[in-house]
Amino acid sequence: MSKESPKLSYFLGKRLNKFFSGLASAYRFVLKFFREVWFPPYEFKEFIRQCYQIGYNSLPLISLTGFIVGIVFTNQSRPSLTEFGAASWLPALISIAVVRAMGPLVTALIAAGKVGSSIGAEIGSMKVTEQIDAMEVSATNPFKFLVVSRVLASTLMIPVLVMYTDFVALMGSFLSVNKNELVSLSTFFVQVFDALTFLDITASLLKSLVFGFTIGIVGCYKGYNSTKGTEGVGKAANAAVVMAMFLIFIEELLSLQITNYFRQM
Amino acid sequence: MRDDNKTTVIVGIFVLVGIIILIAGIMTLGSQQKTFGKNFRVTTVFDDIAGLQTGNNVWFSGVKIGTVRKINFYGESQVEIEMNLDANTKDYIRKNSKATISSDGLIGNKIIVIYGGTSDAGSIAEGDRLEAVMPLDTDKMMETLQENNNNLVSITEDLKVLTHKIAGGEGIVGALLTDSLLAQNFRGLMGDLNQTASRSNRLTSELVQFSQKLNQKGTTIDSFLSDTTLYASLQGTAKGLEATLEEANTVTNNLKVATEKLASPDNPAGMILNDEEFAAYMKSAMGNLDQSAESFNETLDALKYHWFFRRSFRKSERAKEESENE
Repeated sequence: MSKESPKLSYFLGKRLNKFFSGLASAYRFVLKFFREVWFPPYEFKEFIRQCYQIGYNSLPLISLTGFIVGIVFTNQSRPSLTEFGAASWLPALISIAVVRAMGPLVTALIAAGKVGSSIGAEIGSMKVTEQIDAMEVSATNPFKFLVVSRVLASTLMIPVLVMYTDFVALMGSFLSVNKNELVSLSTFFVQVFDALTFLDITASLLKSLVFGFTIGIVGCYKGYNSTKGTEGVGKAANAAVVMAMFLIFIEELLSLQITNYFRQM
Repeated sequence: MRDDNKTTVIVGIFVLVGIIILIAGIMTLGSQQKTFGKNFRVTTVFDDIAGLQTGNNVWFSGVKIGTVRKINFYGESQVEIEMNLDANTKDYIRKNSKATISSDGLIGNKIIVIYGGTSDAGSIAEGDRLEAVMPLDTDKMMETLQENNNNLVSITEDLKVLTHKIAGGEGIVGALLTDSLLAQNFRGLMGDLNQTASRSNRLTSELVQFSQKLNQKGTTIDSFLSDTTLYASLQGTAKGLEATLEEANTVTNNLKVATEKLASPDNPAGMILNDEEFAAYMKSAMGNLDQSAESFNETLDALKYHWFFRRSFRKSERAKEESENE
């Protein structure tokens, strides 16, 4: 016991040291982003290219996912509501679920898987092949070109994708409700918006901005700090997805608390 | 360069469509929740708002006309509700309209329902306070329901006792169900009743026929009932009868006066009827007259044989015999 204690404390100390140093490194990285984002040169072309990659290219996948979510959630909720004789409340339930939680969450998780891993792998491979060092040598600010453009694109495109997801998920839900409850499109949307408030839409948009920022910054951070050659690239991509998803759930919980605080005011 | 432009356009369209979806959502939400239209504020005070929340709907005649804006405590334990109502509804809601808390469906959100009001009270205005009517309390409803349940149990127990007695042949109903003789009697009674009913029916139909005959044109009764001249004649007759009766009354009165006079001895007739002395006098006078008449007869008989009247008497006897023979 007396021999094991120093090893345990050493092990724990090393892990804690690594955790806190990683936290400090991430903090410095985020701080650097906020310092760089305001000042020129602005990499507009790269920003547009990243918007195209993150936003437009993700649209088919996210639309399909949103559509399926709408149908599945409606069909899963129907039996419970029918049991209470409240099947007519399906549009209201779906709108609240989709706009408040499902839309932003599903979009962010899909984007974390697709975009986060892509950013992590791309920047990680540039790091291990010393392309970032080369950019620095050629008087190009790699942080501004690679990180700021990607994080900004991710931050702005995820809310747009969430709008699409919400719309497509509601249309998927409408198909199911129309088939089973014979509800018209106008009645469906009247019931959908009857259940919503401006706070729901505002909270959903702000949450999506935070999710987008998280996906972008985590992907960039993991890629920017990748080591150990090609193996590190894979690890960076994987860590970017896992960390982004984890943080998205944490942020979802926090946003729920904040939204509820405003809702009760 | 061309690829860059193409990418920019695609991203622009992509973002634009996303923003359009957002704006369309916001506009629809705003129009449905009457956020962008002209509103006016009214208040009401409840003792208990039963879970009503900010943002809940306000209904008038089944139409959503606004939302709950603010909920404040008021007085000692009351709650003041501020409502934003659509300005277009101002002309339809009256100052004496009432507000109550209801539910949007069986398990729906709480809503405020504005109802009632009279046209003479005038339209509602900004800042007016509506009279609050407390909604039905679920607990009280359940209490009443429980009381009903207890009553139902009591009634069921009584019914149980009753049916048990009936099944055991107790009481009239029980005996009717179990005693075959009584049942036969009852059946007979019912038969009699049936016959009576059929006779009554027949009687009624005959009465109907009779009344129809009475109503037939040209019959005496119909003439009697419908002839206006006959009515006028009857009226005249009645008046004549009335006059006759009056005259009869007068005659009766006169007779009464005459009778009274006859009863008193101060007039000749009354004296004849009432005075004893006069009666004795009259009696002696009559006796004298009787004697005079006898003497007179004897005188006349004597005259028959007188030579002067003998021939005349014979003539009259002969004429008498002839007339008897004829």
